[in-house]
Amino acid sequence: MEKSEKEKGNLNFDFIVLGAGGTGLAAAMYAARLGLKTLVLGSSNGSELPVGGVITTTDNVENYPGFPKISGMELAKKLEEHAREYDLVDIKQELAEKVEKKKNCFLVQTKKGTYQGKSLLFATGTKWRKLEVPGSAEFERKGVNYCALCDGPLFRDKVVAIVGGSDSAVKDALVLSKYAKKVYVIARNELRAEPINFEKIKSDKKAEILTKTNVKEIKGDSVVRSIVLDKPYKDQKELKVDGVFVAIGHIPLSDLAKPLGVEIDDHGEIKIDHKTSETNVKGIFAAGDVTDKGFKQLITGVGDGCTAAYYAYEYVTKNQVVSC
Amino acid sequence: MTVKVYSTPSCPWCHKAKEFFKENNVAFDDVDVSEDVAAAQEMVQKSGQMGVPVIDFNGEIIVGFDVQRLTELMKKAA
Repeated sequence: MEKSEKEKGNLNFDFIVLGAGGTGLAAAMYAARLGLKTLVLGSSNGSELPVGGVITTTDNVENYPGFPKISGMELAKKLEEHAREYDLVDIKQELAEKVEKKKNCFLVQTKKGTYQGKSLLFATGTKWRKLEVPGSAEFERKGVNYCALCDGPLFRDKVVAIVGGSDSAVKDALVLSKYAKKVYVIARNELRAEPINFEKIKSDKKAEILTKTNVKEIKGDSVVRSIVLDKPYKDQKELKVDGVFVAIGHIPLSDLAKPLGVEIDDHGEIKIDHKTSETNVKGIFAAGDVTDKGFKQLITGVGDGCTAAYYAYEYVTKNQVVSC
Repeated sequence: MTVKVYSTPSCPWCHKAKEFFKENNVAFDDVDVSEDVAAAQEMVQKSGQMGVPVIDFNGEIIVGFDVQRLTELMKKAA
């Protein structure tokens, strides 16, 4: 059936933001301030993250201005509330499945409908990189977990390992140390944590740090029982553990951008103009963890999201994109 | 209707699941498995896995926050 003009109006936007993490929410807030009718599409699927994005899985955020210490979940809620302050912002818990260019506009399809936007922002972020060793898939959620903040409390008084050497991995180790009786931090190189977190984990009596070490295999029966290392630690190659948490980085969620002709680098990150957040395709912007920028934190994603919103506003108003 | 949400205080999807039930006026037992070891074991036994949230909806076990499945079950129970 043909849609009424009112229904069509409800599906037409100046700016469509794919991703409802901190970057997408900040971009939407700023776009609305500039008068852009904005739609934010976030996920409602249990395998992805809720509105608020990856920051919801961080225990304490201590590097966001204005909040010396705040939980990731609380900060995400504030960002969402701030975006929702504006009537021009619509946030839907729908996952974009397909994006097409039609004349000067973009059509974004979800399971519930198709939305039309004059400009587009990829703030899709990343997904966890899986540990690919024997046993990791078999024991996923049976001792092999990816969200320390979510599932760490289930390992009270147990022995766990965290695989990874980044700042995120070390922060996860600090979360796990609140519950577990012992935490092995296993990094293939040296730890790359921020100095403040590095000092915390080094002085944590429950933590044992194994650098230049890889996990070769995860063993168990109905649940995880041990891990096998590529070199001995205290004369043992096999360590008894009850759980393995994985924090070995992320994979950018840039698949929807490829068919639009958006340039992607070798890491799967969307290439953007670092001044404007614009991609090589006019009207398409990207910001946050999915991009090729070097330093990625909530604070930088939020800034880049706002930059994208501003240049999307310039694009929409200067180009007078009125018909699609 | 008996609904039990096995959760931890810091899990974002657990919060979403509980918000969902509150919005739909569905009463539920909120079980904090980070504090209650016996409940954590019960959850692992029921779901065969060690991740939260787990929702026991009238005996049906759902791992994760699956809005579609929960909506279907609520309709069935209404």
